[in-house]
Amino acid sequence: MKCPERTDDFEERSHHLRGLSDDELHERFWALTRRILEPLLEEARTYTTPSIERSVLLRMGLSSLEAKALVDRFQERGLLGRGAGRLVLELAQRKGISLNEAATALLNGEGWEELPS
Amino acid sequence: MKLKPNEKIDLLEVLKDLERYRPRRKGWTWRKQVENQAIGPFVYRDSSESLANSIPLPAAHYFGDIDPQSSCVITTEIASGRFEDDIRRMRMAAWHGADHIMVIRTTGQSHIDGLIEGTPEGVGGIPVTRKQLRASRKALDAIEDEVGRPINFHSYVSGLAGPEMAVLFVEEGVNGCHQDPQYNVLYRDINMHRSFVDAAEAKHILAGGGILQLDGAHNANATAKEAWKVTPELFVQHAVNCAYSQAAGMPEGLIALSTVPPTAPPAPKLRLDLPYAIALRELFAGFRFRAQQNTRYMETDTLETTVSHVLDTLVSRLTSADIQSTITPDEGRNIPWHYNNIAGVNTARQTLMGLDGLDELLALKQEGPLRETVRELKERAVLFLEEILELGGYYAAVAAGMFVDQGYFPERKGDGIARDPEGGDRAGSVVPREPGYGAPVCSHFGNNCYPEKSCQTYGGCTLCNPDRIRYIDDLDPEDNVNKRLERPLAERAEGILRPEVEKHGDGVVCLSLFVPESPAVAEAAALEMALHMGLKAPEVISRRVLHPAEGSLFEIKGIFDLPIRAGLLTLAPQSELLDQAAIEAWVRPRKIAIVAATLGEDEHTVGLHEILDIKHGGIERYGFLIHDLGSSVPVERLLDAAERFGAKAVLVSTIVTHNDVHKVHMKRLHQLAQERGLRDRLLLVAGGAHVTGELAKACGLDTGFGRGTRGWDVASYLVKEWQSRASGVISRQG
Repeated sequence: MKCPERTDDFEERSHHLRGLSDDELHERFWALTRRILEPLLEEARTYTTPSIERSVLLRMGLSSLEAKALVDRFQERGLLGRGAGRLVLELAQRKGISLNEAATALLNGEGWEELPS
Repeated sequence: MKLKPNEKIDLLEVLKDLERYRPRRKGWTWRKQVENQAIGPFVYRDSSESLANSIPLPAAHYFGDIDPQSSCVITTEIASGRFEDDIRRMRMAAWHGADHIMVIRTTGQSHIDGLIEGTPEGVGGIPVTRKQLRASRKALDAIEDEVGRPINFHSYVSGLAGPEMAVLFVEEGVNGCHQDPQYNVLYRDINMHRSFVDAAEAKHILAGGGILQLDGAHNANATAKEAWKVTPELFVQHAVNCAYSQAAGMPEGLIALSTVPPTAPPAPKLRLDLPYAIALRELFAGFRFRAQQNTRYMETDTLETTVSHVLDTLVSRLTSADIQSTITPDEGRNIPWHYNNIAGVNTARQTLMGLDGLDELLALKQEGPLRETVRELKERAVLFLEEILELGGYYAAVAAGMFVDQGYFPERKGDGIARDPEGGDRAGSVVPREPGYGAPVCSHFGNNCYPEKSCQTYGGCTLCNPDRIRYIDDLDPEDNVNKRLERPLAERAEGILRPEVEKHGDGVVCLSLFVPESPAVAEAAALEMALHMGLKAPEVISRRVLHPAEGSLFEIKGIFDLPIRAGLLTLAPQSELLDQAAIEAWVRPRKIAIVAATLGEDEHTVGLHEILDIKHGGIERYGFLIHDLGSSVPVERLLDAAERFGAKAVLVSTIVTHNDVHKVHMKRLHQLAQERGLRDRLLLVAGGAHVTGELAKACGLDTGFGRGTRGWDVASYLVKEWQSRASGVISRQG
């Protein structure tokens, strides 16, 4: 749907705002903004992306090259929704190896069957 | 790494041991404000701590070379494509008062889904990589020590890979950034789900690192044909990013609105821009303001641009600005040249210091059209938000083309930027978090089965334990900084010099030519002239018709492709000038008489007046008692007067003549002074367009001064000479 052309109907359209004080107008401005953003924030809390998951692996000490390759593999196997960081950390803990060793193992095709569900 | 003001920055030293470099601090730093600060002869109301090393504004030498610093942080944007050249530009900018260095990214980095490593060359900016950030931050550490003020380093977290960029920036001590998901959606057509989900994580990370964030709303000004008509929407764009950032955990003190006065003369700029600036500051009280200068209406005339930017800065002072950003005056015609970064910074600091204490003088009218327009703008913004909700929310509104419409909302032209919520770059790349989803790191936003600080179980994430960061050096054996530096460093070692505007030794120069002909003929002639001057690839970068028949002014850039060897140059001897106050303190109490005239048959008195008159900054102002005998004065009369007034010096002005009459006059002056027994108590000084010290001395005088001499030079010479004679050191030869 495309916004059609419209002449400036500010006078009629803004009628309901006339009685508001400046402070009330400001409150309305911010309340409307927060309402608009609520569904976007809910999506951000409950979804993830390849970039977020790579950023988690970077923070866990993987190089950008490893993080990219590993997140691509997780994505191919539909595992990203579990959290790339969690997968690597739990594998490391299960096998008693370091995070970097766990990442290298996965990149070498090892340990995939041991990943947490 | 320590810099010396008289030595170039050592780029190899910058690149050394980068794998072990750690930033000395994280997060943003504001200037330290000083109330009622006395600097030189003035007391400043809106200033901050002074610098240890800087280059003052040109007029500062009238006020004891003071360099007051404004209360606002000053930004300059740097974009050569090679960070090793940018570092030199950063140092020059810092010496002129910039403490916010914004590094533009290479074209297309927004669309790279991941990080880049190494030091590849960019186009219109640098590829932001860990190595480049590290090298730049390390150089800035040394530069900030040299100038004596923290420098904020800034780049971009928009585009794909926002969360990774945010981690990189916190790890590497970047201090400020742009982050605004709306920029991705509207201008980069990156999928909107992806942009907003990434943005929440990126903002949360940035907040943890204390990084100051700018939004991207100013891009709407730069895109709209009639930029002042998108103002209702700009409130909405700012609000979306500000409120989203706060919800993602950013404190409002780290959230800055990037705002631009939307118009430029001949538009009635203040009448259009000021109400908007006021409404913005009222609606967004508590947030920070980054005042940018106008780019929308920039043409190629750098002077016109500069005047617009002065007015933009006036709007900042009439309202408020935490950061005054600058646009280089040449941005309308090329990728900024380094000396234009300095010009832009100087425009801001000159204007800001000139407007110091404006609040004490002016208050804005609270009755009448200003207040009415402020209110109307806010109401239009509220109506915009109402319509977003009526259309079904943000995504639906973008899909409907509500944003960057050229109409003055609620007017609509139907030409907004429409994006499909399920389309765009990386559509479908957003994945729901499963119930057991986890990210065992700090600064993670949203659902997570791990608590904050869970990284302690494995020794700390990189935000807690920087030793865990994985540094990657250059991956490309050809496209890297060491390869690029081979030629420049070899040339520098050989003392080879070329002019430059952007990259080492690019050879680019700019000529100004006025040609007295109609525009087309004049332009062809100007290019031909540039070719004959030996410039390669000359190109007109600015044209200004002064009159359709009488002529046009052109600026032409071209390449001067001739290496100059520094070792073969003959340098003019540098005389160290005495401080002006010291000269006056020595001269005034001594009531020193000086006799001056133009010699022989010379009617030219202009040059002499430049040296003598207080009005022209001449030596009178130091307290000399000047006896100006006028023009065409015979040598005898000059010495009569010197005797009568008890003068200690005789200043003569002369023009160089083809039959050497000037030499005859100068020799005669020396000889007659000797004959009369006056020579030892008189300093005899000659001046004139073609006079040199050597020429005057060869004629028996004490010294001579040529073109470009100021009263200060002469006074400094005289006082030094008298002081050294008083201490028994006679420098005069025969």
